[in-house]
Amino acid sequence: MLVLTRKLGESIAIDDHIKIVVVQIKGKQVRLGIKAPPETKIHREEVYKAIQDQNTEAAQADLSSITNLANELNKK
Amino acid sequence: MKIKTTRFGELEVDKKDIIEFTEGLLGFENLKKFFIVDPGDQTLILWLQSIDDAATAFPIIEPKIFQPNYMVKLLPVELNSLNLENLQNASVYTVLTIPQNVTEMSANLKAPIIINNRTKNARQIVLQDSKLEVRFKMYMDLKKYIVNFASDDSKRTNVAAPAKEQGPTVVHANMTQSQSSDKNSTPEAN
Repeated sequence: MLVLTRKLGESIAIDDHIKIVVVQIKGKQVRLGIKAPPETKIHREEVYKAIQDQNTEAAQADLSSITNLANELNKK
Repeated sequence: MKIKTTRFGELEVDKKDIIEFTEGLLGFENLKKFFIVDPGDQTLILWLQSIDDAATAFPIIEPKIFQPNYMVKLLPVELNSLNLENLQNASVYTVLTIPQNVTEMSANLKAPIIINNRTKNARQIVLQDSKLEVRFKMYMDLKKYIVNFASDDSKRTNVAAPAKEQGPTVVHANMTQSQSSDKNSTPEAN
């Protein structure tokens, strides 16, 4: 992994169209500004982790889960 | 071809019904080939069954069933990656978690599964809209839909009847197509 040191207000350019700026440093938090073409997907990494977890949990369902659900849905 | 599955036993799957996820699903990157099973029960839940692993299947449902206003907006690069010009020829599903307490069930609105009905290429696409939830609680919405659906006489046989006895069926290409190109599809989805 490439590691670079940057000061407040400094930035990093990736390819020709992506720019990441250090906007604010406060204690243990760093605020980053990202300038990128509209087709670039930018997500906090936790989003991917949350989706992975949801997929893993989803795959644990079996037909008895559906029976439970059907029974519950049938209750008035 | 015959495919063995843990949940549904051995099923006969037509080659043209095989859905290919070139990148797999998040957390399941090694599983590339799937097909959709309709167990024919009243919950309207389908299963995205792995061909590579008999034990892996995801319960899925069409989001318009419980969230009529849900709209998928894809970036041009995402449409391109599925060889789509718009979502007219695509099926959209959300992955469901069904915990022991079923009223806590949730649907992943943040990362729906998009299938090109023609090429059968598919991806789980993470949408940019930050308001969309990974675990959207939708039990009550589903219940409401099923109660309304069951009270509609023309559709009664589909839902009010107890689970069909014929067992699970594989959802065919043209079946999903007719669902997604019905009159309710919105032009904004393009």
